[in-house]
Amino acid sequence: MAMETKWERNSDPVGIWEHRGKVALVGRGHSTTDRRWDGVNLDQTLGAYSMVAARNAMEDAGISPDDVDGVITSPGGQPRHGRFGAGWAPRPYFDPPYDTEDGLTYVTAEWFARQLGLKNVKYLNSHGETLWNLIGLAAQAVGDGRCEVCLVPYPNGNLEGRYHQTEGLEAGGPAQWSLPWGWGLSGQGFIFDQYCRKYGTNHDRMAPFVVQERKNGLLWPHSYYALHEPEPFTEEDYVNGRSIARGLSIFDCDRPVQAAACYVVTTAERARDMKQKPVYFLDHTEGAFTPRSLVQTLDESEEWSDILAQRAYAGSGLRPDDIDLFSPYDGFAINAQYFLEAFGWRGVKRGEAHDFYAGDISLQGPNPLNAGGGNMGTGRMRTAFITDSMEQLQGRAGPRQVGIKAEVAVTIGVLPGNACSLVFSTSPD
Amino acid sequence: MLGEHQDSSTGAVVKILLSFDIDGTLELGDPPGGVTIEMVRRAHERGYLVGSCSDKPLSSQRAIWKEIDIEPVFVASKHQLGDVRARVEADAYYHMGDRDTDFQVAQEHDFGFWWAHEAIAEPWLSLGTEG
Amino acid sequence: MPRPIPVPDELSQPFWDACNDGRLLVQYCTYCERRQFPPEPACRECGWQFHLTWLETSGRGTIVGYSVTHDSRTIAWHAEQPYVNAIVSLEEDPVINFHSNLPRVPVDDVPVGAKVEVDFIEVTPGQRIPEWNVAT
Repeated sequence: MAMETKWERNSDPVGIWEHRGKVALVGRGHSTTDRRWDGVNLDQTLGAYSMVAARNAMEDAGISPDDVDGVITSPGGQPRHGRFGAGWAPRPYFDPPYDTEDGLTYVTAEWFARQLGLKNVKYLNSHGETLWNLIGLAAQAVGDGRCEVCLVPYPNGNLEGRYHQTEGLEAGGPAQWSLPWGWGLSGQGFIFDQYCRKYGTNHDRMAPFVVQERKNGLLWPHSYYALHEPEPFTEEDYVNGRSIARGLSIFDCDRPVQAAACYVVTTAERARDMKQKPVYFLDHTEGAFTPRSLVQTLDESEEWSDILAQRAYAGSGLRPDDIDLFSPYDGFAINAQYFLEAFGWRGVKRGEAHDFYAGDISLQGPNPLNAGGGNMGTGRMRTAFITDSMEQLQGRAGPRQVGIKAEVAVTIGVLPGNACSLVFSTSPD
Repeated sequence: MLGEHQDSSTGAVVKILLSFDIDGTLELGDPPGGVTIEMVRRAHERGYLVGSCSDKPLSSQRAIWKEIDIEPVFVASKHQLGDVRARVEADAYYHMGDRDTDFQVAQEHDFGFWWAHEAIAEPWLSLGTEG
Repeated sequence: MPRPIPVPDELSQPFWDACNDGRLLVQYCTYCERRQFPPEPACRECGWQFHLTWLETSGRGTIVGYSVTHDSRTIAWHAEQPYVNAIVSLEEDPVINFHSNLPRVPVDDVPVGAKVEVDFIEVTPGQRIPEWNVAT
């Protein structure tokens, strides 16, 4: 199983990406979206959903399984097979191909290739991380010639129960520096508190952003909310949300879901023969940072997102005015603002994000921020950011199609401390 | 009169407010709980003041009540149980839910409390005047 | 309330031992003349471990911000909700920060910008952790 090393563009100066305009996104496919897997239904496992998404993606691109020579995946939609819920292994297994966790609650490239009957695969990689990094890795792999037609499944799972719940009274390892004081999501609230004090704003002013994202998200047939909670979400709903930690409302937190998507990444040359209009990669750049001391501060959030933005502009050769569509990760919603301000999309400077949210950020307006609805609008699929960017540039976003020109799209995720930015264009130049 | 309930042991008329968490508590919740819509309807028809106090958005809570064709006396976010007490006059206040936060908000605002699994037995039907 | 107890390791043992003596230490690289906290195997600046030592701090700081946890991921803390999570920056090196629950401050009245002094509270017999109180 191949493991990429040094694929990331995360050292300054990054320089223009050597494969700029030579790699393209040409297909996408999605499964339906459930709240969680029930642990029983084999048609609703992450493996099953990845198969559905893959078949949809291949159909979308106009390719057959025999055309595929590479698979890169992030097995459970989380780095290093993140552990979720009460229903984790060991569990009773089923008949093959569901006789191990692979295919049930995570999906390796090997399992995926075997189930799809991919006969011509020469490159398999199961070490992708969160979605943006995964897509960036795929772009680099295709650009480097490791494969030409690459399927990139992104399974994102949820099981019964709640995750990230820490039991017990022993705090060892990194936890010795946080759990004795009950530190956790308060970190998000702390940074937001610093932001509000520095720029003279407050949490209620986040409402228009999340409300618009929910509206956008309802326009996907497979979004969690369209399928399961289709009622409108209002500013009254948002401001009445319960605090998880001061500065972080329950409605700033994305809803875990069970879903899969799959993308087809290929060379610009091969893309010419495929069904959809190619969406060219102009760049991918990454960054991972650690706080100088115990906790991440606002200054660090701003510094790191500035570096990520600088790398994206340096790597793609673009400027803020060149970006038509901007889709910063929003799970948690209170992080999107750091990216928005760092990239200076539509001239938004530090401290101005909430003023921007109060303006027209609707789909048909001049500033359709997160046109896909983000995680706030679609659930924790994460794939709305990629698929929407692609569909907007291809002019096939349907009811979500923005009113403005859509030729260059940038999306970045996940958090200022660890993110990848992707720059897409309708033109390879 | 709406909201009045005749205590089974004393015959006195009392107003008892029942606040339902939804997710993990009501059968319509996500995950579904054991308190059925039938139980809620029975409480409503017998004069209890019923409403929801949940993490679901207020709009979603209203949509659920509309779906089951019951007019709630209140809908609130979970941290607003105190506002419910201030807004709605009753002789006794109860909340029921499946999480520590349900228990804590009930304690904080002097609501009686049932865990979701206790609520399945419809304990409100046999309440005395003490609540 | 029983709260999570730090489990010292080889790297952090000196820090936790000093807490029991009522001293607040941070790592210090004598080559770079630079503090770092929490402790790491090497100096982040020069990359070497040979010049790392421990330095006692003034025990004074400033509250630079806070949140209030209402729904903790740490089950042991549920009984204390809501509780303050403040961040204190060290007087002599504001890059260095520490946690505090500000035990004597009301949850809805945290004085951001206030000067604080370290104290140590026992979380289990034989182990104290740093806490902070507004300076008088």
